[in-house]
Amino acid sequence: MKRSAFSAAIAFSMLAAPAVAQEPKRDLVVATSQADAGRLDPHLASAGADKGGLNWVFNALVRIKPGETSPEFIEPDLAESWTSSADGTEWTFTLRQGVQCHGGYGEFTAEDAVYSIRRAASKETSAFSGDFAVFDKVEAPDPYTVKVTLKNPIPSLLGLLSNYHGGLMVCGKAAEKLGADFAKHPIGTGPFEFVEYLPQQYIKLKANTAYFRGTPQLDTVTYRYIPSDATRDLAFQSGEVDMIFGRQNNQWVERTLAVPGAVVVGMEPAELNALYLNKTVKPLDHIRVRQAIAHAIDRKLMVAFTGDKVAREAISVVPDGNLGVVNAGLLPHDPEKAKALLAEAGYPDGITLKTIQSSLPVLLKIMETLQAELKKSNITLDMQVVDHPTYMADIRKDLSQVTLYQAARFPVADVYLTQFFHSRSTVNTPGGVVNFSHCDVADAEIDAAKRELDPAKQKELWKIAQEKIVADVCAVPFSEQLVVWAWNGALDLGYDLQGSLNLVPQLTEQTHFTK
Amino acid sequence: MASEESLTALRQRLGLDRSLPAQYLDFVGSALSGDWGESMVTGRPVVTEIMTVLPWTIELTAVSLLLGAAAGIPLGVWAAVNRNRAVDYAVRVASLLGLSFPAFVSAVILLLAFAIQLRWFPVISARSGSVGAWFQSITLPALSLGLIMAAYITRVTRSAMLEVLSEDYVRTARAKGVRWPVVVRRHALRNALLPIITVVGLFLGIQIGNSVLTEIVFNRPGLGKLIVGALNQRDYTMLQGMMVIYTLIVVFVNMLTDIAYGLADPRVKLQ
Repeated sequence: MKRSAFSAAIAFSMLAAPAVAQEPKRDLVVATSQADAGRLDPHLASAGADKGGLNWVFNALVRIKPGETSPEFIEPDLAESWTSSADGTEWTFTLRQGVQCHGGYGEFTAEDAVYSIRRAASKETSAFSGDFAVFDKVEAPDPYTVKVTLKNPIPSLLGLLSNYHGGLMVCGKAAEKLGADFAKHPIGTGPFEFVEYLPQQYIKLKANTAYFRGTPQLDTVTYRYIPSDATRDLAFQSGEVDMIFGRQNNQWVERTLAVPGAVVVGMEPAELNALYLNKTVKPLDHIRVRQAIAHAIDRKLMVAFTGDKVAREAISVVPDGNLGVVNAGLLPHDPEKAKALLAEAGYPDGITLKTIQSSLPVLLKIMETLQAELKKSNITLDMQVVDHPTYMADIRKDLSQVTLYQAARFPVADVYLTQFFHSRSTVNTPGGVVNFSHCDVADAEIDAAKRELDPAKQKELWKIAQEKIVADVCAVPFSEQLVVWAWNGALDLGYDLQGSLNLVPQLTEQTHFTK
Repeated sequence: MASEESLTALRQRLGLDRSLPAQYLDFVGSALSGDWGESMVTGRPVVTEIMTVLPWTIELTAVSLLLGAAAGIPLGVWAAVNRNRAVDYAVRVASLLGLSFPAFVSAVILLLAFAIQLRWFPVISARSGSVGAWFQSITLPALSLGLIMAAYITRVTRSAMLEVLSEDYVRTARAKGVRWPVVVRRHALRNALLPIITVVGLFLGIQIGNSVLTEIVFNRPGLGKLIVGALNQRDYTMLQGMMVIYTLIVVFVNMLTDIAYGLADPRVKLQ
């Protein structure tokens, strides 16, 4: 995987506090920006903060090494080994023996794994059932063997069964016994087990002393819901909270670094900021108009606007750091060329484009900057600002000519390319996802890469797909934003943090305070 | 995008394929039996979600009301009896400032002063257990809301007192030789209480609205945080329940106001 110097986690500073001869803390308090817990069920949780917290409670058959985000770092978790058939449709996993479910629900066996995968694949019990549509059969030939048969090979079966989304494994007996209450009392096998949930306040976890990788070094973890940015910052300053979700701007980073002992980290996966251009409507149906928009945007300026400590320039229509991403040759900033292209397309006096825009400050500020930038090339953005839920609904109804969207996905190029640029994913169609631009120029390559078993050939197909999409200007990517967290420098995560797929740093049995 | 088949099944399951009057009657019937549906986001019962946080909001509003009344009534009386003197001007300016200050600004200032600089109180105001912990948890948010309440009550009390103090019976009481403090307390304040109770009753509704910001800044559970979360996530069933509970609160506060009239003025009796 390509990883630029910038894409590595950026540890900005660590000012050591004076040493005190006392026992290190054993209770960690983490604060997220979410107002309250959503569904505390790994197969139903859709909010990032919920998924992050549940990752401390559950394991998967395989996991991405703590601190990493790329599937290249997949390693054993509940499964200690696995094999696959030559055509990639049959997978056999051998489970660890003696792994215990929380709350005395007994040993985690292949039956639990089968139950869990079937649960994740069911529309009734899972928000990720679509990901498992390719599963044909899941069987447990013996207590420690799980056999998965696919309808056809897919680029990352291990990614689906990793500690991300539907891959987390629940204990079957607990899920059956608790029924709907499972979402109020999640039972897993992870390093921390659920203790209590106080609405709008926190969930509390305690160390799972029977954890198969060893007893965690922290006794408890309190995961607090603090939606106010100012309050979260003040709680961190006062020492009531050890780790907080940060804001994606340089000023916040600099201010937080002034807190004695604070560590601030910008981590992967970066969210790609891009303008998606609806190719089916005038004047965007003209390639020169779309090229003009691409030439009108200054990527350096957009990065400077957010801050170079938390953002970087986009290099493709897929986020940097994804498996298969290439430098796809985005068009350079050239306002004069933009005007010339508009004139060639028959719009010498410029164009006006309608866009539906979220009122969320973080998105609105970006769009206002783009609006000013495009104006220099005689491109007027007519913004209709609506609340965020309306924006999310309206852009999926194909109501916006130009759509600003910020997203990160499972970091394999296939996922981003399929969801944003395959014609099957076109918004407002059955099966539609987030193909706002009605892009279809790389369908053949995206589909061929899904079937390709040779990793090198697969990457080559993804490269061609990205280049075709960039050449057709289905979207204009301009920047990528890192996820920012800050914590007390006395906290040692127990691994080198480059990123976390669930956007919340992983807590492991090794995580501890040094003082 | 969901298929038409899934949409039809969902509409059937939620009863959306029925006429609006039928849906409404269903809702009223369920609501009366305590079933307000389930949150569309968390899947938990709406009633449970509301009832879990309602005591926090009631507690905050009640304590801030007590603080506001304890400070506002004496200050209003003091300003009225010293009309157009330095004390009166000072109280009027202070109460105007109190009313003009947005709740979230005073909340952040209180946090910076008492939680960060002096470290007397926690930033996260949601503690339970001992009386000490409760006191620590309630003080700053109640002070933040109570300041606004005090400012409002001060102005209303001053104005009501000025009106009463100019009445003939006050002059008569003074002419009879009744001591001035007694005139103020028994003859004037008692009669000024009715308008004060009226506006406090009305303001209580506004105060529940102000508690939204206070709960968010002090990270305190409550209806405010619940409704903001529900709005952000378009949790319609939760919002529906919240509208019902806010309506019930307003009706309940109006009823309390009517009862308070009877206590303050013996001429007002429930028939």
